[in-house]
This record gives sequence, C-alpha cells and structure tokens, in this order.
Amino acid sequence: MSFVLPVAHALVARKDLPIPAWLFAWGASIVLIVSFFALSAAWRKPRFEQERWRPLGAGLSRALLSVPMQALCGVVGIFLLGFSIYAGLHGTEAPDRNFALTFIFVTAWLGLPLFSVIFGDVFRPINPWRAIGRTIGGAFSAIAGQRPAHLAYPEKLGRWPAAIGLLAVVWLEVVYGSSGGVAVGLSPDTLGLAALLYSLYTLAMMALFGVEKWCQTGEIFSVYFGMFSQLGSFGVRDGKLGRRLPLSAATHWATVPGSAAVVIASIASTSFDGAQEGAFKGGILQTFEWLVEAGLSLTTSLRVTDTIFMALCFLGVGLVYLIGVQGMSTVRGAPPLKKLRTGFAHTLIPIAFAYLVAHYFSLFVFQEQAQFTYLLSDPLGTATTDLFGTASSGVDFKLLSANAIWYVQVGALVIGHVVGLTLAHDRATAYWGDYRQAARSQYWMLAVMVAFTCFGLYLLSVANA
Amino acid sequence: MNSNAMRVIAGIGVIAVAIVLLIVLKDDDKSASEKVDTVATTTSSNPGGNESPSKPSIPTIVIKNGKPVGGITELTYNEGDQIRFKVDSDVSDEIHVHGYELMKDVEAGGSVSFDFPASIEGVFEAELEGRKEQILEFTVNP
Repeated sequence: MSFVLPVAHALVARKDLPIPAWLFAWGASIVLIVSFFALSAAWRKPRFEQERWRPLGAGLSRALLSVPMQALCGVVGIFLLGFSIYAGLHGTEAPDRNFALTFIFVTAWLGLPLFSVIFGDVFRPINPWRAIGRTIGGAFSAIAGQRPAHLAYPEKLGRWPAAIGLLAVVWLEVVYGSSGGVAVGLSPDTLGLAALLYSLYTLAMMALFGVEKWCQTGEIFSVYFGMFSQLGSFGVRDGKLGRRLPLSAATHWATVPGSAAVVIASIASTSFDGAQEGAFKGGILQTFEWLVEAGLSLTTSLRVTDTIFMALCFLGVGLVYLIGVQGMSTVRGAPPLKKLRTGFAHTLIPIAFAYLVAHYFSLFVFQEQAQFTYLLSDPLGTATTDLFGTASSGVDFKLLSANAIWYVQVGALVIGHVVGLTLAHDRATAYWGDYRQAARSQYWMLAVMVAFTCFGLYLLSVANA
Repeated sequence: MNSNAMRVIAGIGVIAVAIVLLIVLKDDDKSASEKVDTVATTTSSNPGGNESPSKPSIPTIVIKNGKPVGGITELTYNEGDQIRFKVDSDVSDEIHVHGYELMKDVEAGGSVSFDFPASIEGVFEAELEGRKEQILEFTVNP
C-alpha cells in the first residue's frame, strides 16, 4: 500500500525550487575557501568583547523612551494581539484569508527577527504581555502601596522554558498544523485559542516571577527576538538609546543557562521545516507507513512522525555543537567544558538567522503582499468588508525570480557562516591567551560551522524535490 | 614558517577539493537538467506527435471518490511553456491552481481542462478546493 503524504503549509501557495547543483557547488566551495582564509589571516586580540557604547542624541532617546511612547507601543502591541486572537476565533476558517495566521507566523515570527537585527530589540516595547504585566504591576503598586512580591526564579532553569517554547511554536505551525490529514494547515481558530492560552500562561508566569525576569528567560518571543537583536548595533542601556559595535552585544548574550538550547532550537526547527519536504521526505514517509501499519490513524501517525524528526533535528544540531565544544576542550589551555559550552553558543546566532533568511525569505516577501493588501482590508476573510479598498488584491508571485531567491538563499548562508566564524575566532582569542592554541581550537568550530552551512545548502538543494 | 607552509598546503588542498567538487557537480547538473528536459517533453507535450494536433496527449487527472487515482500527479515545465492538463472527476468541486490563482468548477462526472502559460517560477499545487485534496504538483523551472 502506498501513501501520499499530506504535508502542506497553510499559507504557501508557491514553494521554492531547489537550488541547482552548480550553485550548491559554488556555495560550498566559497564556504570552504572563506573558512581557510579565516584560519590563516585572522586577528590575534579579541575585538568584539567590548561594545564601544556610544549614546545617541539625548533628545531622540528621551522621545523614543518616554512614558507616553512606551504606553503607545504597548497599546499597539495589545491591540494587534487582541485582534489576531479575535480574527483567529471569529474570522474565516481559510488560513490564507485570515489575518491571524499570516500576522503571527509571517509578519511577526519572521519579520521581527529581521527588524531586531536592523533596529535593535523592537519587540520589547510592543510586547503585549509585558505591557499588560507592567500595567497590572503598576496598578497593584498604586493600590497596595508596595511593589508586588515575586518568587525567586530558579536561575538554573535559565532560558530553557523559552527554548522549549520555541520548539512548541514551530511544532504548532509545521507539525500540528500541517498534519490534519488534509492539506489545510493550522486552522485559524486553533491559532486563536493557542494565542489565548499562551497569553494566560505568560501573564501567570509574569505574576509569579516578575515581568522583566520572565521576559529575559521564559517568554518565548522576547527571548527569541531579543537574541537576534544582539547582532545589530542599536540598543538601550541605562535608559538611553545608543550604538555599539555590531555583533558585540552577542558576546554577552549566552551567559544565561539554556541560551545555547534557544539558538540550537532555532536552527533545528528551521532545518526540520526545510527538510520535511526534501531531505527527510523518504524517512518521514517510511516512519509514517510503519505507524499507520501499526494501527495509528493517519493524522496521529503523521504528527508523531514529524514530532520524532523535529526532535531528532534538535538532538542532531545540539550534538554537532557539543562535539565541536568537546573538541575545543582538548586544545591546551582550554577553559572548563561548561564555560566553553556557553561561551560559543552566540556564534550560532548568525547561522540561525541565515537559516531563517534562506528558508523563509520568499515566503516573507510574498505573504507580506497579502498582509498589507487583502488581509488588512478584509482581515476576517468575510469577503464583505473592504476597509482600504485592497480586499481583491492578490500576491504578485513574479516579484522574485527563482534566480533572485537562490542568490539570496546562498548569500545568506555564506554571510551567516562568515559572521559565525568571526564571532567564534574572536571568542577563542579571548579564551586562549596563546594565539596558536586559539587558532587550533578553531579547527573544531570551523568544522561545526562548515557542517551547518553545508547542511543548509544541502537542504536548499533538495527542497521540495 | 613551518606552520605557515602547512597552511598554504592545506589551503591549496581545500581549493583543489573545491574545484574538483565544482567540476563534478557541474557535470551532474548538466545531465540532471537534461533529464529534467526529457521529463518536461514527455509530460508536458505529446511525445512523437507534436505535429498532429488531432492526437493531443494532455495529462489527465482522474478523480475517483474525491481522490486522485494514482496519487498526486507531478508535472514539470520550463518558464514560457504552455501548461495543459485535464481533470475528470466523479465528484463536483472547485479546482484551485495555487499561485496562479485559477479556479474552475467541475461537475460530478464531468471534466474540465486547464491551459495557461507557465509564467511564474516555483513549485505549485492544484487541489479540490472543497475537499482540500491535493491532486497535482507542478514545477516551473526558470
């Protein structure tokens, strides 16, 4: 008996073509050559450990960080969350015609990493849960005359709740959503319900551990978008806006336990999404058939299969990183293994970002056309409203040629690779006083980076094939 | 000095490997694209009968009990080709070609034909809209 895998994205009307073999070869060759030069022609003293912080104009800082501005951003965030939940629960069941799916999974989930890299941590001011939490906290203080008391957050837990949450978000979208047995994807009302439940959970955790504490450690979106903001050069310190050396903030990001798990979860979940209709297709089909023959229903079989493969991705990516770390610890003068494990986690952030660009760039460009035309004019998909006169617009799929998409994909992976190597080399020169040992330790990280980048290229070359 | 020499040798080695890889894969690509071309000619046009319009062999998707017979049909085209296929269905539904956003109704027991230029590159699907049943996946190469 043969099965047809009912795998499909809710929103994807057009899938990318696999990158041609010649481009794969060029990409891989450039990666290898660049890596070789990184080994020989690199600097000997750390350059990114110091942020070289420079405040921006005081007027700009005061205006952007003023209380009314914060309140405005909070209100916008709460409105967008509330509206997405409403649209999810009360709008059309067609995923591509409902505001909620595109807004949450494309505009926010894919757009905010990009904006965070360019403009800094833009999610922090518009974070709806933080805004609600701060308002409730402020009201409590005003009424009770004292600040709300919180439990001490178990520091060992660190960012683990966010790492697991990150996997859960992607699981909801690409495993639970795509496994309906039919090619519908996640239904908008499921997403609305999930967003509502997540809001309750987040507010409860904020009440327990404090708003800012939870945003730093457990709140999935704060941690995830915040991670990408570390790559860029804008930030806030002591209540002032400022500029810093790009990439420098990332060198201090992973000091919280579980940070490595967050960035590994990001790479793993993107890998899984990229591989499920390409590299893993055969394996998924095989496992799926076994489970069906074992008597599970089609939907359950597919969800279980996808869950297994997503977990394997997480373990695989984690294992590659740990092997690299283990290898570095054998180099003379190496710091303790634990320090190495957290100390190089941030070098994977550029890889995670490159994976996002490589896998979702075209989806983002195409789906944002929908977001700003018919999904704005007719957010509930009722076909009776037309707020801005754009309800009947469509997506122009000719906007990007296959070639343009391929070059962006390969370019992103190569640049991510170079930036990752830069951060890793810089960290090594900080950890190993002796330059030669530092360079030797980097053979290991180099292998890790080449593995991730070539795996990324490979995924692109067999995507949707 | 010694380690520098080692590095140069290692570097030359890496570049050599890269070049070999490039040549090997480049050849693969050529044969692969030739394969794709043959696939395209066999699936998208009528093999051997190009000159006689009286015997068109348009790919036909047969729907039985709301499901495509033989699974999802796969077709491959190059940009600029004409995409032609026919759907024979025993259920009434709407056929939706994603990306190209073409919709046609089909009656139970009826058939409907599609004929449109391959103007958008990518991988697309067509489905029975009401049943959310995918019946076709087609690829348009640049």
